[in-house]
Amino acid sequence: VSSVEKRIRLHGLRQSTVGHTAVGLWRHPDSQARRYRELDFWLESAQILERGKFDALFIADALGPLEVYQGRVDAALRDGVQTPTDDPLLVISAMAAVTRHLGFAVTVSSTYEQPYQFARKMTTLDHLSEGRIGWNIVTSALDSAARNLGLDQQIPHDERYKIADEFMEVVYKLWEGSWEDDAVVGDVQAGVLIDPVRVHPIEHDGAYFRVPGIALSEPSLQRTPVLYQAGTSTAGKAFAARHAEGVFLSTYRPEMARRMVSDVRELARGMGREPESLKFITMATVIVAATEAEARAKHADYAAYASLEGSLARFSALMQIDLSQLDPDVPLEYVETEGIRGVVERFTRLDSSRRWTPRDIADFVGVSGGGPLIVGSPPQVADELERWMEEADIDGFNICDPVPPATFADFVQYVVPELQRRGRVWTDYEGNTLRESLLAPGHVRVSADHPAAAFRRLPSPAR
Amino acid sequence: VKRDRLIFSAFTGLGLPNHGPGLWWHPDARPIDHTNLEGWMALAHRLEQARFDMVFFGDSVGAPDVYRGSTEQALIDAIGIPSGDPSVLMSALASVTSELGLTFTSSTLQEHPFNFARKLSTLDHLSNGRIGWNIVTGYAASAARNFGLAELPAHDQRYHEADEYMEVVYKLWEESWEDGAVLRDARRRMYADPGRVHPIDHEGKYFRVAGPHLPEPSPQRTPVLFQAGSSEVGRSFAAHHAEAVFLIARGPAGAATLVGDVRARARGFGRHDGDLFFLQGIWFVIGDSEADARRREAELIEWVSAEGVLADLSGKLGVDLGDVDLDKPVDELRVRGVQGIVDSLRDAGEAQQGTFRDLTSRLLGARVVGAPEQIADRLTTWAEAGIDGFNVMDTPGHGAFDDFAQHLAPVLQRRGLMQREYRAGTLREKLFGSEPQLPARHPARRHRRPAAPILEDGKDSAVSAGGRVA
Repeated sequence: VSSVEKRIRLHGLRQSTVGHTAVGLWRHPDSQARRYRELDFWLESAQILERGKFDALFIADALGPLEVYQGRVDAALRDGVQTPTDDPLLVISAMAAVTRHLGFAVTVSSTYEQPYQFARKMTTLDHLSEGRIGWNIVTSALDSAARNLGLDQQIPHDERYKIADEFMEVVYKLWEGSWEDDAVVGDVQAGVLIDPVRVHPIEHDGAYFRVPGIALSEPSLQRTPVLYQAGTSTAGKAFAARHAEGVFLSTYRPEMARRMVSDVRELARGMGREPESLKFITMATVIVAATEAEARAKHADYAAYASLEGSLARFSALMQIDLSQLDPDVPLEYVETEGIRGVVERFTRLDSSRRWTPRDIADFVGVSGGGPLIVGSPPQVADELERWMEEADIDGFNICDPVPPATFADFVQYVVPELQRRGRVWTDYEGNTLRESLLAPGHVRVSADHPAAAFRRLPSPAR
Repeated sequence: VKRDRLIFSAFTGLGLPNHGPGLWWHPDARPIDHTNLEGWMALAHRLEQARFDMVFFGDSVGAPDVYRGSTEQALIDAIGIPSGDPSVLMSALASVTSELGLTFTSSTLQEHPFNFARKLSTLDHLSNGRIGWNIVTGYAASAARNFGLAELPAHDQRYHEADEYMEVVYKLWEESWEDGAVLRDARRRMYADPGRVHPIDHEGKYFRVAGPHLPEPSPQRTPVLFQAGSSEVGRSFAAHHAEAVFLIARGPAGAATLVGDVRARARGFGRHDGDLFFLQGIWFVIGDSEADARRREAELIEWVSAEGVLADLSGKLGVDLGDVDLDKPVDELRVRGVQGIVDSLRDAGEAQQGTFRDLTSRLLGARVVGAPEQIADRLTTWAEAGIDGFNVMDTPGHGAFDDFAQHLAPVLQRRGLMQREYRAGTLREKLFGSEPQLPARHPARRHRRPAAPILEDGKDSAVSAGGRVA
């Protein structure tokens, strides 16, 4: 399939915090970032995205305060950089109630959840949203999160992925293998709601988890939520290739993205999965207005509010490297960390075009958050998005909202109609569930070549 | 304690109605589809219209599997299964109501306190301070096993662990962020003042949590705390922590004993009588007349699944009642684990004759049967025994709440027993007529810090928030 024919998939990117991708912009008069605790703020945002026929709202999360920079949380607190942060899962049912098609891809760390109750929460949300739930699987890169959850420090990087693999096995068994499709019989005459013969204990007994029981919830439309992953390290790529249906990229140059895409697709092929069934969504910040000049002025206005220190605090935590300890003007070298290795690589050995100092990084990510920053008129933005689709061989974008919700609203007002005119995005939803939006109409459950499908059961013979 | 009115809460769960196995098949039960969002939102809206103080979601994270050693009967009668997680439903209910309290059950076994505290703060933000938490320690071994434990921890140990769990969440909710820590001052580029946000550095026997709390403080900080323990250690826990004690006494006399005991313990902890109230679980069968109500009751009881009642009870007692012969006369019955209940029913004169099958409907919790005026009289009797309000069960189904609203609420309101309008403010203010946050004598407040000195404009605070790095 040539990328020219691909429909551009659009997700909106948010976190339930004040300063997410663009740090310091909460001070801009148009920013409503401070309303992150308000239900109405989320409902309005969801409605904006659905108006633009976005596939999903993608909600990031971080389970610990950002305290690598200067060894303390101060810089993060001053700009509200992911600290404070609320739980992303709990606002979804309310957003589902005011939308019909928008999906919700929510970040939850497998490192700090119990698979049994986590599976139940996702099933509950998939019920309530009628099949619109996705899960962005993370393994948690923050030492500060580990310390809050009873560990002295981070579980080593590669072991986190081993735990995550077993976690996936447990939840697959609960979602796919515990209840047969026709277990709920609802026989009033016999007084039998559920046929016990068709509900099976999963009897999982592994190295990290022991879960013997049956799933507590009856199956939801999608059963397994749509699975997203963003790992870029070697272990992370293998994990994505095995489990992910959507892969979230956050690099700033198409050729760097393209390498990731082809690596992960190749790995997926090796695992017996159809490589094109994995959809790659890259983070992008779009500042658009009716004309290029207006867009440039808007960007300059936003950039004036960017916080250098806050940005360094954010990237220090992502890399688990205290950038305050480094000379701001000496280029960074690659080092092994227990943080997000892909982020470190991106600013060191992956980028052959230039060398990055801490100051460069902070300037660059101030508005963009580390992904491409696209500023221009609607046709210019559409051109650039199409170039990315082509050159990176991706499937769509995770659109950032540096001045929430104005940036989302601008995108929907200016860019979506232009892309629709070009036939690059759809003019209406073609399915009902999130998996149908991401993959294809009618594709409600995981594909047969996905590892979750291996846990499906054949129906028991009728009693 | 003199209250100006009684409290009415709607007691349900995110599954099929759970308090009367088999009953929800009855045509009057009108259970909503528990997987359907609109159904729950419409229910919450109706509860608010009817001026219920709150909705209360029970929950258990294990399927009952003690009866005959399997989940078979639980599945047939939908007892505790299928069930969903109530926490994820709350924001949708908050979005269609503005006054209704939103209380749900979560076990201290099921979630790490750091994560859990964040979830409750999030919900308290989203609902503008309308969240209550029913603290349970999890009685089902089936739940414990699914959380990686070989067996359920011993009863008293669960409470010790729960005590430490409370200490952790109190520190996160009350101590970590000072009042005034959130400045949202764009000019000074200071969303929050680092000098006023503190790690908690909790190191205990069961938990180690560094902090700080990730969410900024919510309107109530600590949600309104409910608890339902009736054992020795459970009562002590309730007296210490609970603001509302949920009980299912068989009658006013039994309730009075428990209320008196817990109140005495609470006083011993330095708490005031007005700091906690008692909520009795109850099931109403309302008729046009007493005879009509009795007729409806008899008709309903025919739908009870006796096996389901045993399966439910087996799970709660941890004793397999699978070999109880339902058709044997009660007088001849000797059952390990349930003999105390049988004896108490017999002593109460309710089961002099008949079989265990006849008796099962008596095990569905306290029920008040009659015409509305009669029911109101009976509630007054409960109130005289020290009960402050009622958790109205969804028995036979969610239709029970509509029947209550239509037939009983007007009578109760006319007599001044039920609110006609909501009091302003958070759930805590509505229920207690108090401040939005816990009173200073509650143990959670021991963890509150004195506020740091106010800073001069433009100066950074002297104290670093990190604390771990010099």
